[in-house]
Amino acid sequence: MAAFVQLVILGLLAGGVYVAVGVGFGLVWGVLNIVNLAHGALVIVGGYITWQLFTAFGLDPFLTLPVDAVALFVLGYALQRGVINRIIRAPLLFTFLLTFGVNLVIVNILLLIFGSDFRSVTPTYSGQGFELGGIVIPYVRLASLGAAILLSAGLAFLLSRTRIGLSIHAIAADRDAAQLVGIDLRHAYAVTYGLGAACAGVAGGLIAMIQAITPTAGEPYTLQAFVVVILGGLGRVSATVVGGLAFGLVEAFGQSIPGSGSVFANAIAFGLMVLVLVTRPQGLMGRLR
Amino acid sequence: MRRWAVIAVAAVATVACGGSSPGEQTTGSTIVLGAPLGLTGSLTKESTLTQQGYNLWLDWINARGGIVVNNVKHPVTIKYYDDTSNANQSAVLMQKLITEDKANFLLGPYGSAATATDAAIAEQNEIPMVEANGAAQSIFNQGYKYTFGVLSPANKYLQGVIDMAATLSPKPTTIAMLSADDNFSLEVAEGVNTYAASKGMNVVLYKKYKNGATNLSAEVQAAKAANADIVLNSGHLQEAIAINKAAKEQKVNAKIFAYSVGPSTPDFITALGKDANYVYGGSQWTPQVKYTPAFYLTVPEYVAAYKAKYPGLGDPDYHVAESTAACLALQRAIEKAGSLDPKKVRDALAALDVTVFFGQVKFDSRGINIYKPMVVEQIQNGAHHTVFPDSVADAKPQYPTPAWDQR
Repeated sequence: MAAFVQLVILGLLAGGVYVAVGVGFGLVWGVLNIVNLAHGALVIVGGYITWQLFTAFGLDPFLTLPVDAVALFVLGYALQRGVINRIIRAPLLFTFLLTFGVNLVIVNILLLIFGSDFRSVTPTYSGQGFELGGIVIPYVRLASLGAAILLSAGLAFLLSRTRIGLSIHAIAADRDAAQLVGIDLRHAYAVTYGLGAACAGVAGGLIAMIQAITPTAGEPYTLQAFVVVILGGLGRVSATVVGGLAFGLVEAFGQSIPGSGSVFANAIAFGLMVLVLVTRPQGLMGRLR
Repeated sequence: MRRWAVIAVAAVATVACGGSSPGEQTTGSTIVLGAPLGLTGSLTKESTLTQQGYNLWLDWINARGGIVVNNVKHPVTIKYYDDTSNANQSAVLMQKLITEDKANFLLGPYGSAATATDAAIAEQNEIPMVEANGAAQSIFNQGYKYTFGVLSPANKYLQGVIDMAATLSPKPTTIAMLSADDNFSLEVAEGVNTYAASKGMNVVLYKKYKNGATNLSAEVQAAKAANADIVLNSGHLQEAIAINKAAKEQKVNAKIFAYSVGPSTPDFITALGKDANYVYGGSQWTPQVKYTPAFYLTVPEYVAAYKAKYPGLGDPDYHVAESTAACLALQRAIEKAGSLDPKKVRDALAALDVTVFFGQVKFDSRGINIYKPMVVEQIQNGAHHTVFPDSVADAKPQYPTPAWDQR
């Protein structure tokens, strides 16, 4: 029983990272209709910022998360305004190609700056945790989950309670109508992408504490973000939170299958995604549009 | 008339050359070696180390005028292509190196996957490939005649750790084996599974995970539940770091933590800080080993040469050393063959038996070097130390590993 509870806890804690990775990806996909293949690369940029601030200035990695968010917002805004806006109405394949290209450029710039060494942020409290009746809860992972939930709540607040959030909702609903009522589309697109990138940056900061990063380490996260968003459902932040936690749980249980079971952890997660697509195409929590 | 003059000059030149005193070396054609490497993509780190190893030898050999074949010195160039860490692309580039760049001989790419695809190309074209970074035995079980690996095969990677553990007191008896599911890692793990019993140890958990996995907490949880004396991981650097972090988080207190790949790299220590202490790793080579080389540099000279050419990177790790060793094996085989004919050099490689700074280089009938032992390293106070076998060790193993909350 204790082992089962431990597994659930580990799955939920791991899910925190997937939530953080998923929310930004889901926002960009839902609003701009861009499957952002550069998302993983943006995540790793955030990871490197946290690593750099931690090693150069000894800054606590959790305090670097706002820096990640701001820096990545600026980067994302500029990317969308300068590059991606040009093909925003082109067929899906073009956005695939462009974001894939952006991904390659970012990864290779990181390789030039940081080299291919593996880096990890290991603060003094890394690996420490508390025990509750034999269940171990590591501080860093717990705080990561907390940060991911806060990030999601912040994003949800921004989208529903602020003027720019409402205009993002408006362009998601109907671009032409939004333009008619005076929304500056180019600006709103860029803000949306910037917000997505900011979330990716925060996710990267969390990931740098949990694993080792290298410029190419972001690739699996693009895929995982994709699954998380489909699992939860497109168009709502809360849905992505559910999707991320579900993905973490499924992964943990997949990994706990004896023998070579964990080889299929991904297959199980993707199988679940297919199942959700077949039975509930709008996702576990999504609404039909 | 002019034509006759040219012929006359040529004839005089020929006579003049032929008449030079015997034993004096002349300069012959340039030997072109080809190597596709993952200079971008996921294997950039290891591929760069491989390239450093090749280039160290290249500088040395060209400083001496080149490889001597029948008293003629042949300068050497190495033609590199970037295979973007993609095994199929590596094979395409290998073919290009042979047909377009007219490479005389081939050096291996990085990694078992690319080495396997490249070995097929070398075989088809009957051009010898000496490789240093593909340890999976599956490469050598294909009956290939033109692929030679200077490194110890995968199944030996963690056997040294088992041998070492058997000498420790209190003797550990149970093993939890975690492994990535790629060919190389599985061979390392199977090597442990079949070998452990002969040392009186029992593999109580054998768990495979997806190659490249970043979240391994459930696997580590299983290792904790198995309560084994020894936790082994057969995977790659990133997975080794993830497992070590998860082991601390979940307070897994084994007597030995040993990882096939990872601990020998400086990245492992910088990424984990003091949590890297006490971890063991299998290594092809360490800067502390003591071998007496028949030619090229001694181990301390090699370390010094590396630091002079690549300042600020610390000691060379085993990827660098084995890559240099591949060049040395090829050089010696060309010299012994006394020819640049690929078939003669292949035969000389098959018959090669020489000790260099890297250890003994000799190939079995399949082309892999099963004669050089693996060494065991341990990280002690943030530094690498060779702890096994005793004949090459510079420190004693710190055993047992203290519990996480007592460090």
